[in-house]
Amino acid sequence: MIKVLIAGEGGQGVQVIAEILARAAFLENKKALYIPNFGVEQRGGVSLAFVIIDDKSVVYPKFAKADILAVLADRSWERVKNYLGEKTKVIEGPAITGQDKGLPVKTWNILVLRQINQAGQIVSQKNLIQALEERLAGQFKKNPELKELDLKAVNQ
Amino acid sequence: MKQSPKFPKCYKIESKPHKFCPGCGHPLVLKMLGQVIDEMGIADKVVLMVDIGCSLLAWDFFDLPTTQTHHGRTVPTAVGFKMADPEKMVIAYLGDGGAYAIGLQHTLTTCLRNDPITTIVVNNTLYAMTGGQLAPTTVDNEITATTPGGKTEFTTLRGPELLRTIAHKEAYLARGTTNKPLVLKQYLQKALEVQMKKNYAFVEALSFCPTNWKTNAQKTIERIQDLEKTFKTGEF
Amino acid sequence: MKQFLMGNKILAQAAKDAGAKIMFGYPITPSTEILETWAKFCLKDKSLKILQTEDEMAAGFGVIGSCLAGVPAFTATAGPGNILMQDALVMAEALRIPMVTMMMQRGGMSTSTVIYSQEEVRLTCFGGNSEGFRIVYSTSNLQELYDYTLKAFQMAWKYRWPTFVLADGYQGKMMGEVEISNSKLPLTNLKPILTKGVNLRNCYNLEEEIGEKIADYNDEYQQTRSEIEEYEDYQTKDAKIILLAHGIVAAAVKIAVDKLRKRGLSIGLFRPITLRPFPTQAAVKILDKAEKIIVIESAIGQLAELFKAELFGLNTTLIEINKPALGFTPEEIDKQVCFFADAQK
Repeated sequence: MIKVLIAGEGGQGVQVIAEILARAAFLENKKALYIPNFGVEQRGGVSLAFVIIDDKSVVYPKFAKADILAVLADRSWERVKNYLGEKTKVIEGPAITGQDKGLPVKTWNILVLRQINQAGQIVSQKNLIQALEERLAGQFKKNPELKELDLKAVNQ
Repeated sequence: MKQSPKFPKCYKIESKPHKFCPGCGHPLVLKMLGQVIDEMGIADKVVLMVDIGCSLLAWDFFDLPTTQTHHGRTVPTAVGFKMADPEKMVIAYLGDGGAYAIGLQHTLTTCLRNDPITTIVVNNTLYAMTGGQLAPTTVDNEITATTPGGKTEFTTLRGPELLRTIAHKEAYLARGTTNKPLVLKQYLQKALEVQMKKNYAFVEALSFCPTNWKTNAQKTIERIQDLEKTFKTGEF
Repeated sequence: MKQFLMGNKILAQAAKDAGAKIMFGYPITPSTEILETWAKFCLKDKSLKILQTEDEMAAGFGVIGSCLAGVPAFTATAGPGNILMQDALVMAEALRIPMVTMMMQRGGMSTSTVIYSQEEVRLTCFGGNSEGFRIVYSTSNLQELYDYTLKAFQMAWKYRWPTFVLADGYQGKMMGEVEISNSKLPLTNLKPILTKGVNLRNCYNLEEEIGEKIADYNDEYQQTRSEIEEYEDYQTKDAKIILLAHGIVAAAVKIAVDKLRKRGLSIGLFRPITLRPFPTQAAVKILDKAEKIIVIESAIGQLAELFKAELFGLNTTLIEINKPALGFTPEEIDKQVCFFADAQK
């Protein structure tokens, strides 16, 4: 069982990557449960996502300590520090580290997704990409350039 | 019991004599409605919803499928029924409290949506069943149980006029009076015909309430004639 | 067929598969996706209809109107919407309307959070000015959202009490695997209620008239409850401590029970699935042998209250663990239970 917590500000794409990760696990015939946690504002505010992936059924979507903690905005740290356990692997997004691999802001959440998957060896790259393409099919159709950039990010 | 030939066939005989007060406008409105239903031959299609307030006494007035609803919720119940069974002629029958106070948002929204139901509002300018309190249609200086010094709080609500500002151009809006029942009858008939054409229809009937107006027969008629100065009759 | 879906979408799909034809609703988090998903269904399937109403009262009475015409309809709401919905719900109780409502509990007390709690139990079970002649299913996972929605429509049309799928914002928003059924069962007695010769009222004149009617309803409710009650018995055989929980909290409790059992604790879970009618008979039998009962809920005693009302006289020690508007992780439950069980960690 692997427990992933992703945190950021509304609008950074936290929920999208959580959903992609969970969908990828489903494609891989694993059991996954994903739940968003946020307030009322459409933008700004804190956005959390809990993802649990296991080989057997996952019934409860939240947990006390994360195996992987990904933080996309500095301000979100306050809300998630209690989820840090002794063994938690921490990933910080480009908004905090400045390491964006030359990619634009709108793809930074996908970069983080890639790093989460690498850190946890969660799903195959093939299923991750398929889940990404399925989830963002609408946006990719309207904006083929975005597809190119996101695929670049997920293959970093 | 020999039935007067003027009573509508769709009356429910078992519930007569009705329970409305002597001199009340409701039985007149309902009789006109009954005659229209008879003449149009639509008794097997009509479904009637009534509100809480004096209109609730109409629950067993007709031998037509009828239900009381909660206060102010007659219109949305009628809308739900019509959506489920568009072939039926659905009528929402309520008083000025149900239509213009507690249920005002439903009255407005249903008109806005041009929902094909027919709303009949019996307006006696106060809340009769509960003892004659203030209503949105109470006129200036009118004495009611909650305005013992005479109403001064807010403007009198004129339903059809208000609805006309948001109604579909094919919607039918009218105001009649129990003082001229045959004219009212024509409005009721048109209101049902408009539903057949899948548009919204609304008829307000200015109505007698001698019990709460505390008027004798003559004063009752004078009062309603006076009210026609505030509430213009006609089609809108 | 296995699909990966959000809870709220599962609810909409289940309603469709159950035979519902119209949804009335007012947007309110965390139930809104149900209405939005239904709107998308209506684009593809012209036999379905939707009405976004001006408020929850219009939604509830719209459902009643549709049911009176013999067409299965439903609504979904939460929090302050639950309160407004009670207007229609109690009339549905009085007139025996098979109204189905999905109640997605959110934070308690006023507008609160849009997220989660178990604080609408009392309101959903007894929120009318009435005796709570309702059927309330408390689901605990995505598959149950689907299965119990199908069941809710079946039972509503069969027994004619307003029926609920009582879930919460966690279940509504979480995404995971669900098995969507291919078989569709027809609903019992699917015909119009308001027909020629039917004059319905909910207003009465004298005490005797309504007193008798309520007593009749109660007799019927009590006589048919055993056909409706459902519960889950998880490892309670020989258990000295029995945990009592419902909904998604029960899902977390099960995980804790497994862990505690591995460490030698004699412990199990009694989970009522129907909160109304409460599975009293089963509860008495199962809980009678326990030394301690620990109620765990995301509210202050709302489940405990139902339990205490039905099982008055049971001598077992009762402990209540209340965390209004907050969820329980399995780890927390483990810790709290150990504290009360005086056991080794």
